[in-house]
Amino acid sequence: MIALWVIPVIPLVGFALNGLLGTRLGKGFVSAVGVGSAGLATLAAYSRLIPYLSSGGGTPVIEPYGSWIVAGSLSIDLSFRLDPLSALMLSFVTFVGFLIHVYSVGYMHHDETDAGYARYFGYLNLFLFAMLVLVLAETFLLMFVGWEGVGLCSYLLVGYYYDREYAAAAGKKAFVVNRIGDFGFLLGMFGLFTTFGSLSYSEVFGKAAGNPALYQPALTLICLCLFVGAVGKSAQVPLYVWLPDAMAGPTPVSALIHAATMVTAGVYMVTRCNVLFRLAPEAMAVVAGIGAFTAIFAGTIAVAQNDIKKVLAYSTVSQLGYMFLACGVGAYVAGMFHVMTHAFFKACLFLGSGSVIHAMGGEQDMRKMGGLKSKLPITFWTFLVATLAIAGIPPLAGFFSKDAILAGAFEAGGLRILWAVGLFTAGLTAFYMFRLVSLTFFGRFRGTPDQEHHLHESPPSMTLPLIVLAILSVVGGWVGLPAVFGENANVFARFLAPVLPGLKGVEEHAALPHATEWALMAVSVLVAAAGLLLAWSWYARGEGRTPARIAAASPGVYALVADKFRIDELYGVLFVKPFYWLSRTLWKVVDVLLIDGVLNAGAFVVELTGDLLRFLQTGNVRNYALTFLLGLVALLLVVAGWI
Amino acid sequence: MIGTIPLSEVLIVSGALFCIGLCGALLRRNAIQIFLSIELMMNSANLAILGYGASLGTREGQIVVFFVIAIAAAEAAVGLAIFVALFRHTETIDVNRINLLKW
Amino acid sequence: MFEVFAAVAIVFAALMVLSRNPVRSVLSLVVAFFALAGCYVLLFSPFIAVIQVIVYAGAILVLFLFVLMLLNVGPERPEKTGRPIQTLLSGIAIVLFAGFLLSALRHSGSAAPRALAGEPNVLGRPEALARELFSGYLLHFEAVSILLLSALVGAFVLARRDREPRG
Repeated sequence: MIALWVIPVIPLVGFALNGLLGTRLGKGFVSAVGVGSAGLATLAAYSRLIPYLSSGGGTPVIEPYGSWIVAGSLSIDLSFRLDPLSALMLSFVTFVGFLIHVYSVGYMHHDETDAGYARYFGYLNLFLFAMLVLVLAETFLLMFVGWEGVGLCSYLLVGYYYDREYAAAAGKKAFVVNRIGDFGFLLGMFGLFTTFGSLSYSEVFGKAAGNPALYQPALTLICLCLFVGAVGKSAQVPLYVWLPDAMAGPTPVSALIHAATMVTAGVYMVTRCNVLFRLAPEAMAVVAGIGAFTAIFAGTIAVAQNDIKKVLAYSTVSQLGYMFLACGVGAYVAGMFHVMTHAFFKACLFLGSGSVIHAMGGEQDMRKMGGLKSKLPITFWTFLVATLAIAGIPPLAGFFSKDAILAGAFEAGGLRILWAVGLFTAGLTAFYMFRLVSLTFFGRFRGTPDQEHHLHESPPSMTLPLIVLAILSVVGGWVGLPAVFGENANVFARFLAPVLPGLKGVEEHAALPHATEWALMAVSVLVAAAGLLLAWSWYARGEGRTPARIAAASPGVYALVADKFRIDELYGVLFVKPFYWLSRTLWKVVDVLLIDGVLNAGAFVVELTGDLLRFLQTGNVRNYALTFLLGLVALLLVVAGWI
Repeated sequence: MIGTIPLSEVLIVSGALFCIGLCGALLRRNAIQIFLSIELMMNSANLAILGYGASLGTREGQIVVFFVIAIAAAEAAVGLAIFVALFRHTETIDVNRINLLKW
Repeated sequence: MFEVFAAVAIVFAALMVLSRNPVRSVLSLVVAFFALAGCYVLLFSPFIAVIQVIVYAGAILVLFLFVLMLLNVGPERPEKTGRPIQTLLSGIAIVLFAGFLLSALRHSGSAAPRALAGEPNVLGRPEALARELFSGYLLHFEAVSILLLSALVGAFVLARRDREPRG
């Protein structure tokens, strides 16, 4: 039985090998090491997962590796934890990561130099290492190490094409906005330490559950701070602005980092801390509100985007909103369920878009595509499957996870505004996704003849992962069948139950009666179908005439939406410009004028003194003798007390 | 006669000789004459030491002066050798004109 | 007696300082040293007086004369570049210093006439002096002899005529 630490270390070794030797040993070596280490890590992970799952997976396995930081009252151990939640994350992070590594071989092979290729796979492996550390950590601080690590790799990979101005800027933006969130996370950790005296999960959650009233006011604040971190990492309002820009990176990066793994770290963290959040209802309300708002906000922007990757980016933001909505209403199981299914179909969608872009020779504007279904059959069919999944059409995976979230929102009671928002967004999702499919694959080809000649299906290294992911998008939901299909049908929920202990003082929502559940399911399917059909009729059959008329009728509104509500520009005015002004002032005034000025003045005074004093050196011995005597006389007078 | 010299008188003489030597050292331009004035100052110090030694009834004054004279001899020899060497280079012993270490 | 010798010393010291001709200065100083030797005798130090005459007046000042002859130094010409500030300040400093000496004398209590103690014959006897010198001050004696040796070597090296430049 291999130790848990081996799992992240394998890709770390891959990073080292590719980083140090990759350029010299060529693309074959790099591919072997890169894909091999991802594959090995997956095998290692499953070698621990399978026994854990078959034994029921109840008790968490904690592997301590010794003390890490000991400073005064602060004592943090280095330990990894394998429990249902981390096992779940481990299972798809490694496997989807492996698939994307395989895909990258085909995608990145031709265009890159040996050095660039090695750099790419090195960073990809490093990312896997950081993500695995994040998922397996047993203490908040160790998780934060992984948290920062994935942020770093996001910067490195988004800015992979570092010679392109906008790609480099996008990398910076991702890092900076993430950092703002990380600051919140840090504050949360400080709060955790001062309140609970420890940063290890078992201790913190144990103490909180044991005596909730004791920690109450601090707890809400801590949860809000931690949530700020999640907002940054998982691209929620108002810190989502980096994700659409991050599409400047290579498409497999977008698939891995910005769809399946890194952005879900926030949801993972909130679910991990469910004990804390459930004891702080105000914080949970904030989580749900922001999640719901983000979902609908991003969804509306996605409707008016013309770049295929931007649509998917805003879709990711929107789906992440769903996951936070689920956590906020207490449906943590539903949230994690959606994390898993979203990993499957969103990765499939991104990789599929990569295949399309590859075939179109780098073109990403959907207005120049069309009719690709005959030229790229495998891509088309897998893409279609994934689209149906995200739209929430049964019996594909997305339906079950999304439905679970909506049920949870409905269960939460009250005015059910959140449920309504979620339902409307589901319709939006179906609409803009099928708009994408229609514009890309149906109708006439609208590009240049050169591009038309270039169209070809992608190599197997790219299509095989697509097929695997598509299959998972179909069957992935069947582990979480809702209660209407039988009391024990929800394998997923039962699996995750140990992570969500009962808490005294917190009442769980009453389960919905079956009839309501069936009704809800029917409603969501209808809404999704409506969105699909509308998109198909407007874009596939109607060739976009109707939406064009609508856009022309209200040009101001259309421009606003298409321009993503000009949020970036708003931030520019509110934050970026003042900071530039501040830095410039600090530089020109404080640093150059004041600090340098003072130093220079000091040096000037010394120089001046020297220039004046040197006139004492007359070279004339008599003057020196006189000086002796004068000095002696003065000394004597002082000693005698006359001066 | 002998034995009734007040110490204060010895000291006054010594002080006067010293001041005369000081004048010579500061106000003359000739390097040799400056050196002579310095020798005079040393002798005035010798006088004072001998005066104290005698007034305290000890022989230490004489011993000190003995050594001072020996050292003054050594110093005079070396100093004059320096003057000779300097004169060879600069053709003058006017200290006003020997100011190579000027700023 | 002492006053006589002292007066002679002071007068000739002043002559030494005032004389333009360096040879005259040296000769005046010789006379002054003789007078000082007389003073030393009156201060129970006959041996030192003799040393003064032999070494100081007879060797050192003669050396001065030799050097003067060697350098062929003429009388001092009047100062062309009058630097009054140097003279003025020197004067002030010397006056201050002299004044200080005087007041120190007055305040120190040696002003009261204190007779010299000790037996003249006992104190100044060379035999006794030698005994004290070579017992208590033997180390000093040897050190000074080494000093004289180094001065000898140093003077020799310094005054040597430069050889032809090497190479």
